[in-house]
Amino acid sequence: MSLAYDVIPVTIVTGFLGSGKSTLLADVLHGAAARDTAVLVNEFGEVGLDHLLLGAIDAQTVLLDNGCVCCAIRSDLKEALASLFSRRARGELPPFSRVVLETTGLATPAPIIATLLADPLVAHHYVLNATVTVVDAVQAGYQRVRHPEWLAQVTAADRIVISKADLADAATLEPLRAQLQQLNPAAQIVLRSAADDATCLFAAAQAAPDLGAIASRAGNAARRFEAEQARMQSHPQADPQARVAHAAPLAVPAPVDANHLANIESFCIEFDQPIEWPVFTLWFTLLLNRHGDNILRVKGLLAIAGTPQPVVVHAVHHLVHPVLHLDDWPDANRTARLVFITCGVARAAVAASWQRFCRHLQPAESVH
Amino acid sequence: MCGMCGLLGGGRHWSNTVAPGADANARRQRLVQVAHANRVLAPFRLRLDDFHGQSFVLSSPTGASEMAGDLMQVWQAAEKMLGRPLDPLTLFADEAGAHDTVQQAH
Repeated sequence: MSLAYDVIPVTIVTGFLGSGKSTLLADVLHGAAARDTAVLVNEFGEVGLDHLLLGAIDAQTVLLDNGCVCCAIRSDLKEALASLFSRRARGELPPFSRVVLETTGLATPAPIIATLLADPLVAHHYVLNATVTVVDAVQAGYQRVRHPEWLAQVTAADRIVISKADLADAATLEPLRAQLQQLNPAAQIVLRSAADDATCLFAAAQAAPDLGAIASRAGNAARRFEAEQARMQSHPQADPQARVAHAAPLAVPAPVDANHLANIESFCIEFDQPIEWPVFTLWFTLLLNRHGDNILRVKGLLAIAGTPQPVVVHAVHHLVHPVLHLDDWPDANRTARLVFITCGVARAAVAASWQRFCRHLQPAESVH
Repeated sequence: MCGMCGLLGGGRHWSNTVAPGADANARRQRLVQVAHANRVLAPFRLRLDDFHGQSFVLSSPTGASEMAGDLMQVWQAAEKMLGRPLDPLTLFADEAGAHDTVQQAH
């Protein structure tokens, strides 16, 4: 009898309506590389899997020719994940080793991540592998301005796949890539191509984030985006969205919430001394409790007093992923850092708040 | 409340993580957390106690008490008891300047 206890990695595939999530899934879910995968979708009809179908297990579940199972979510996600696991345990489904969850186009990923991290039943059997967001290169400008879900999907991503890049020209793609990098410097950004295989879905989010690169990307993207904005303001006719006539994008409306977008900033806070973990947990829970709505993402590596092992901290809004202790620092740079992506929460205020907490809660001699 | 209350608390919460090899065990770290939290809550006349290493009990001077599974719930309960937000960006702001423990970088 095997006593193996499986914790199944879940990859969330999100993206706005029509961005190409289902196409991406249908393209990469064939062949041996994608076998042993269970796919949770909202509707079978939305995913063009007919050519991959081997047979139906029941009204909600179909088997693909490479051994993947595809299940429709009947009611809520928690029930779907729990049912999937119990049917696997009973042998009613093939023993899949990973799950891909396709969200609806209007979903914000935070509640889904909350279910995975915090639900007492689901959290013991599943672990979040990565969040992949598909961004429509042609419609991104419109969706960015009109739909707050688009922003939530982009900022929650570990990996951003730009789809329909063949319909957009370089003058559209470069500013889009710069803006995506500015909005989420922690994400890896790739262009969708016909050669994409399952690794574009299943590659794990980096356990040890390259914070130097992330901080650098945040700065570079911000500068490029500002330069691009300045250029477009001085030459409105150079608006790249207006030139993609063949792709027939929707006209970009007046940015009614331009202030909201302008308030989004990425910044990095460095800690030059190991932190006291109990103090950090108090400060960080207080911060996320009060400002979690406006803290879109936090990712970082911390040095903890009393242990040589660095800790990876990763948060989306109010949710903090299980912290990960690394055996060693990923590179020679041992500076502890947290990268924040916020909306209206200023770097200076966060840094000063941490300083005050340290001073108030730690013995004076340890705050240096 | 009976002795079983709170046993199904937030023991799995990320803030309860203890690094392997660290010189603090989970229970000791939790007591340090509670002591620190009480230094934050004392000006508001609230008090926090550990409950079985799984939950917290937040008490007010008027006798109100509420169970919280993890630190996030503690702050939510405290805000509810106080009737106003506990904002870390302004807490202790009236104190003298701090040391340069944090540097800002882009």
